Amino acid sequence: MMNMSLTMIPDLMLAVLLIGMAWAALSSDDLKRGVILFIAFGLLLAIVWARLQAPDLALAEAAIGAGLAGALLLVALRDETGGKVAAGEVSRSGRWLVDLFALTMTCLIGWVLWLTIYTEPVERLAPLAHAMLAQSGVSNPVTAVLLNYRAYDTLLELVVVLTAVLGVMVVGRERRGYRQAGPVFCGLVHWLVPLLIVTAGYLLWVGAHAPGGAFQAGATLAAAGILLRLAGEDAAGLPGGIRLRWLLVVGIGLFLIIGLGVTLSSGQVLQYPKAWSGALILVIESAATASIAAALVLAYRGGRPQGWLTAVDKENNREVSA
Amino acid sequence: MSNLLIWPVALPLLAALLALLWPGRSTWIGVAGTALSLLAVLLVARQLVETGPIELALGGWAPGLGIALRADGLSLLMLSMSSLVAMAVAVYASVYFSQSDRRGEFWVLWLLLITALHALFLSGDLFNLYVTLELLGLSAVVLACLGGSRESLRAALRYLVLGLLGSLAFLMGVALVYAGYGTLDMAALGAAIEAGPTAWVALSLMTGGLLIKSALFPLHFWLPPAHANAPAPVSAVLSALVVKAALYLILRLWLELFDGVVTQAAALIVGVLGAIAVVWGSWAALRAERLKLMAAYSTVAQLGYLFLFLPLLAALPQGEGRDLALGALVLLALTHGFAKSAFFLAAGVIMQRAGHDRIAELGGTARALPVTAFTIALAGVALIGLPPSGSFLAKWQLLSSVFVTGQWIWLPVIAIGTLLAGAYIFRLLGHAFAPGEGVGPSLSVGREEIPAMLLALIATLLLGFWATTVWDLVPITAYAAGGIG
Amino acid sequence: MTQALIYALTGAVIFMLGVRTTLLRDALLHRILGLNVSGAGVFLVFVSLAYRGDSLTTDPVPHALVLTGLVVAISATALALALNRRLREMDHE
Repeated sequence: MMNMSLTMIPDLMLAVLLIGMAWAALSSDDLKRGVILFIAFGLLLAIVWARLQAPDLALAEAAIGAGLAGALLLVALRDETGGKVAAGEVSRSGRWLVDLFALTMTCLIGWVLWLTIYTEPVERLAPLAHAMLAQSGVSNPVTAVLLNYRAYDTLLELVVVLTAVLGVMVVGRERRGYRQAGPVFCGLVHWLVPLLIVTAGYLLWVGAHAPGGAFQAGATLAAAGILLRLAGEDAAGLPGGIRLRWLLVVGIGLFLIIGLGVTLSSGQVLQYPKAWSGALILVIESAATASIAAALVLAYRGGRPQGWLTAVDKENNREVSA
Repeated sequence: MSNLLIWPVALPLLAALLALLWPGRSTWIGVAGTALSLLAVLLVARQLVETGPIELALGGWAPGLGIALRADGLSLLMLSMSSLVAMAVAVYASVYFSQSDRRGEFWVLWLLLITALHALFLSGDLFNLYVTLELLGLSAVVLACLGGSRESLRAALRYLVLGLLGSLAFLMGVALVYAGYGTLDMAALGAAIEAGPTAWVALSLMTGGLLIKSALFPLHFWLPPAHANAPAPVSAVLSALVVKAALYLILRLWLELFDGVVTQAAALIVGVLGAIAVVWGSWAALRAERLKLMAAYSTVAQLGYLFLFLPLLAALPQGEGRDLALGALVLLALTHGFAKSAFFLAAGVIMQRAGHDRIAELGGTARALPVTAFTIALAGVALIGLPPSGSFLAKWQLLSSVFVTGQWIWLPVIAIGTLLAGAYIFRLLGHAFAPGEGVGPSLSVGREEIPAMLLALIATLLLGFWATTVWDLVPITAYAAGGIG
Repeated sequence: MTQALIYALTGAVIFMLGVRTTLLRDALLHRILGLNVSGAGVFLVFVSLAYRGDSLTTDPVPHALVLTGLVVAISATALALALNRRLREMDHE
């Protein structure tokens, strides 16, 4: 059976801790406590990713899963206070039924995982993905999947981000900003923001051959924007009007134009010419970083800024002339 | 040129970006973008009829490592329905939103929704399907919010949370498929998947997720408020197209990828739920006091019919009999798509003119808005399943499949559903054709009345006469034996 | 492959914990937490599949899928929170 050894102990402990943390975050009646536990859960997950040799994910999880999601949830807590907490409880038999269902499904999924990972493991895409790496234009295999093998997924995912952020702006006006922060915090921000921007640039550049890439860089850049807003800079470093819209669009736009444009040379959609693939991927990733950062910051601002897309010709002309 | 397949996705997406950059021209860009996407679909159709299923290996990578787009008969029919309905709704929306300060946002999201639908119908990769499902869900939710009323936001939020739950269940199924078979390419999976615990659990998870999205009873409760409270053009595409996307995926999974895995018992459960949906949805539609709510409940019922086919399809061996039943299912789905979008657009016209959509106070509609009243009558013919509509032929085939398989239990369901549909349509027509002053006098035939009528005509006449085309196209598949592979 | 199995099973448990919360809890923030946790469970299963022991290189495909999934999850979370906030505002109006 399973050859249990001492090396398994840290893994088992991490697993138990992860489940315990998830349970604690979800079962807490105090929402604030739940959110904070959720952030801790995300950080723990980043450790697990590192343990499972997924450093790209560890970075992304810390930045997005724990960091940004945490920031969004923490500001959302402010909306909860004062509003009535809905107390429509599920009946006891309903609760029992859901628990039974959850338990059954967990066992079934676990059974399949046991079969597919332990008893009869199959060869998956790893050998092929590594074998083709030389032709992908980058040497970080995760970036190769994201920007080359499965670039179409990434393109659509950028569209998902755009859709969600447009939704945020359809639904409501942006939150009120914060008062100008005190000198200590401002001083800190003046140090941190350039540091974050440099880090983002580094993550973007290094993503071609080491852990990093557009998503991690975009999230880091967004963190810089959020810090600016906390220090009293309401726009969080973003421009307004038409320039903001260009910023949101440029990631998808360049990706799409390049993806279609390479057809002229290679004959196939999204097939980069081999000599150019590294450079094209960097161009696409840079634009995507800008769009992702803008979208995430807008999501944090929580709604449409003044004068966003009121769709009136007059205003549009004014913007153009300005 | 297999590169043709990217255009139904790329064109609406490009148009969406342009509409975001130039909101002042958004109406123009939106209608033109929708028209160009329709043109792209027509080009795909021409190619497909000539050469059979089309495949585009994106990036030039072998499907598996890369993602393939594929078009076959089923995807082409769904694509054609969605781009035709979208075209008509776009023309209607250009009038509906002409005075609204929301129109910039509407057109961008509208084009994103079309992108999502087309991407979903063309995708040949399971994880890519998850991304398209999310894109479709989010754009639909945001469009449903455009009304801005409290009810619409509440419904949209519930729609969002349930949709996300559905996508996550689907994604877990995808994970198990990757665990068991080591690929996400659907053509390869169609050949590799065989009955066993991995296939059963993965299929249950994916089906469960999709059933939430396709609003099968008892997971239907989010649909009526979400569809009834959205702006009319949005309700039309939500009811006609968005729920069909989930159904399309269920068909792909059950009949092609997991063919031979589905047990008769599982199909029977889904069929029974479909039967309950038919009876309950029709009954609720009959009792509804508002026109749009009635249309939304009718969608629940009509979706139920589509699920009635699954136990029949599972009982029929692969071959002509099954293709006939599958063709009938698709024909019914298409007819409902056209008829329901026509119905919602007509309801929108009435609502804008009368300021309300209370059925009991619709007297005088036929005199004030003859074209719209005619549209509702035509769409009603298709919803009930009277000749010469496409749904008449489809229900006829449904009955004959019931006879062939000996599953008599569905007979009373079909009968009751049809009678109730007749009842709610005639109740509505009774009010609409009654004299009264509920709707103000009409000035002329509006540009917004024509698209709805054309959609209703397609449902009632065109699909009835061209039904053989549907039956010819459905067996052309890219996934089962004899596909591209 | 025992390590991969440990984490994959953990993923299954976390996934269903999240689903259960989403079904049972009423407050939207609880439901969003539930959805995010159950998403993390699915991601954990994917990443476990990618792990092939310390001696072999990992499978990059699931890693990329999870990155995509993470970004989708944060987008959906942002939208849900915005909707919730607008509804709260309407409660007060």
